[in-house]
Amino acid sequence: MDWKSQQNTDGGWAYSRGCSWTEPTALVLLAQTATGIDRTAFAPGAQFLRSLQGADGGWKPQANVAESTWVTALVALLPAETIGLTQRRRALDWLKGQTGRESGWRYRLTQRLNGNKEEFPEGWPWFPGAAAWVIPTSFSILAFAGEPDLSSRVAEGRRFLLGHMCADGGWNHGSNRALGRDGDSYPETTGIALLALREAQLDRSLDRAKKHLDTCRTAEGIAWLRMGLAAHGIKTEAPIAPPCRTTMDQALWALSNAPRNPLVTPAILSPVSY
Amino acid sequence: MNPTRRQALTTLTAGAALSACSRPQPQHFPITNVSIVKSPAYNMDVYDTILRLVSQHQPNIRGKRIVLKPNLVEFDAHTAINTHPLVVHATYEAFRKLGAASVRIAEGPGHRRGTLDLADAAGYFSTVPKFEDNFTDLNTDSVAKRVIQRPESKLESLYLPHTVLGCDLLVTLPKMKTHHWAGATLAMKNLFGLVPGAVYGWPKNVLHWAGIPESIVDLHHLFPNQFAIVDGIVGMEGNGPIQGTPKSVGVLVAGNDVAAVDATCCRIMDIDPKKIDYLRIARREDNLGESAFRQIGEPIAAVRTSFDLMDVWRSARGV
Repeated sequence: MDWKSQQNTDGGWAYSRGCSWTEPTALVLLAQTATGIDRTAFAPGAQFLRSLQGADGGWKPQANVAESTWVTALVALLPAETIGLTQRRRALDWLKGQTGRESGWRYRLTQRLNGNKEEFPEGWPWFPGAAAWVIPTSFSILAFAGEPDLSSRVAEGRRFLLGHMCADGGWNHGSNRALGRDGDSYPETTGIALLALREAQLDRSLDRAKKHLDTCRTAEGIAWLRMGLAAHGIKTEAPIAPPCRTTMDQALWALSNAPRNPLVTPAILSPVSY
Repeated sequence: MNPTRRQALTTLTAGAALSACSRPQPQHFPITNVSIVKSPAYNMDVYDTILRLVSQHQPNIRGKRIVLKPNLVEFDAHTAINTHPLVVHATYEAFRKLGAASVRIAEGPGHRRGTLDLADAAGYFSTVPKFEDNFTDLNTDSVAKRVIQRPESKLESLYLPHTVLGCDLLVTLPKMKTHHWAGATLAMKNLFGLVPGAVYGWPKNVLHWAGIPESIVDLHHLFPNQFAIVDGIVGMEGNGPIQGTPKSVGVLVAGNDVAAVDATCCRIMDIDPKKIDYLRIARREDNLGESAFRQIGEPIAAVRTSFDLMDVWRSARGV
């Protein structure tokens, strides 16, 4: 994959075209760690990422955005030396302080007073102050893998994911039931949640993922499904070769085909030199 | 130091006087035109109908930068979730024909991240020539922060995509649908798709916490130059905006005053616009009556089609 030709002059990558963002840049670097590093592209990419760490330790999604967001988890998934050990520690500390607004004491108290006995396990929001959702929770769980002092948050995050499983066994963005009606799962979020729940016994979810894989027509969906299934020991082939329309698609496709994928097996995230 | 009783009373009196001055006065909105045109099917006639609608409401668009904002949410072949691609292409062609400097189609879906895949599945690639070259994913466009003056919601500011901030006219092209949280999703609710997912996530949950109807109104106020064409050829009733059932209405509804367009659509759907919170906030209750707008084309009674409403919205029935 020629990552260099798509790289912006600031060292980052766009989602598709235009300005650089943290998310596609982190995914391209992650894909390079799995498929082979292009030093001329990796070093400026890492430099771009380092420039977007906020004073609070979290990562901004883009240079024009002042707030740190969920992308912090994605950056923390990179080999530590990409962003620096101290910087990664601060990123994890920032993530540790984030939780869905619905699991805060104020919201819980209001719900209890209204007779709602539902539990609100602590997941992670996309943006500070909002509710927790499936994708940021899954990535935060992955970022915390191998951090024993954060295991209780990981357990809470997994409880959140299990509580937001759709009736069909998969996951959508996180609204599994609204006004008494079940929501349908999506391929991509099912794959991502399975990655974060790798030790769980989830036969129904794995069946759902396989069914999604049979019918899915997008690079994003197929890539996440294959990675999610691989995390549970199920090797699959891509059923079709869909168009990779964005940088994200290309990075995800490369990751899903990599024999050593750091998202599937976080332990292989060993130091990289570039 | 504790204030004396006199000081406290003085402060209270002054406060009361100030509060009376700042209390919203009855607001009167100019009477605006809303077109209702019969359009029974998605066929080539839609092109002529939309060209006529655009010419009628937007006579001076030569040299202007236009952004078309359809409603793309999810794709399910068994229902009618998204603005039909033919309506989008017909609008695109109309603005090009009338001399717009540029016309871009732009959308930022709230649930699914693969916007281009979604557009492809919804038939946009096959209907709109060179679709990808003329499209901006608003979820991942570059952004700038905008302060919201006198917000109705709890929002103080929002990051918004440069593509829409830089246009001269924002054309909102929604589907005529019921909505489980907002009652109806039409031209104004369609603006949620302007909010960038790459900043706020999927869904754009900060808007929910800030108050859905209030956020709709705040977004509306951020874009003073709007024009709406509502795809009511086939709408959605019941558990909208995604899980409802298709509803044939056979109309296109258009106008520059998008709140008026939405209120008119509500009446067509047999929903009382005064029961839709975002419209009540945007127009104040006394500016939502049928006489507040001038209907052009078909009278509402000729096209009214009662939409099935979820239990929580039954009380909104009736015009």
